[in-house]
Amino acid sequence: MSETSSEEARRIARGARDRVQFEEEALALADQVYRVARGVSRSKEEAEDLMQETYARAFRSWESFTPGTNLRAWLLRILTNLNIDRGRRAQRTPDQQPLEEGDYYLYNRLESTSGETDEERIIERLSQDHIAEALAAVPHDFRDVLVLVDIGEFSYAEAAQILDIPIGTVMSRLHRGRRILKQRLAELAVEAK
Amino acid sequence: MSEMDPCDWCEEVLQPYLDRDLNATDVQKVKQHLAACSWCEKRFKFETDLRRLVRQAVEPMEPELKAKLAALRLEL
Repeated sequence: MSETSSEEARRIARGARDRVQFEEEALALADQVYRVARGVSRSKEEAEDLMQETYARAFRSWESFTPGTNLRAWLLRILTNLNIDRGRRAQRTPDQQPLEEGDYYLYNRLESTSGETDEERIIERLSQDHIAEALAAVPHDFRDVLVLVDIGEFSYAEAAQILDIPIGTVMSRLHRGRRILKQRLAELAVEAK
Repeated sequence: MSEMDPCDWCEEVLQPYLDRDLNATDVQKVKQHLAACSWCEKRFKFETDLRRLVRQAVEPMEPELKAKLAALRLEL
């Protein structure tokens, strides 16, 4: 009997050690996860709630994580699913008014309205407030991809896995999201002039 | 098919270039063009700077939140 119980004790100790390690690794990624949470949320408070729900769920279901796989992507998958569950998606993406402007549009617009020709002076016309406001104006489906790739620095493939959408959709949403962002930035920076 | 204007072509491949999603031949073509065309070169530089600003647009997490997250750990 004592042999069985000491084996049992060892198994429990191993499980506890694995769990503590999992928790520590998850917490070490919190800053990076938060950047995405903040990017997809309307406010800091909403981002903080989302983080707490995400981590509570992650800690509860730690056994479903496969060690050696991408923990950051696993956490972000929980986060984006929770964000969808919150009904935040009630607002559907308004479909596809044409965006004719190319990728040079924002620069051209800033240059032509300032008389500046120096790139460093032109980028200075964009403030962090402009960027935050423009980002908030990007519809959710596009913003999620933009935040994962451009702020979270995930690859297209990781973003596709996290959001459970095809990689081609990641690319097209990213493309469109960046265009919408720049169009909004052009409006904000030129209005602010 | 007529040859596309090189500046228009660079504008089209700007995003895949910065995403490192462009093939090696085209990357070389972009680099050659940028070395010779300050008009496009400024616009590529601007896009790079803009991406950096977007990455910095979200404020970092408050230390209090990190403590709250740590407190969510299950009892041993």
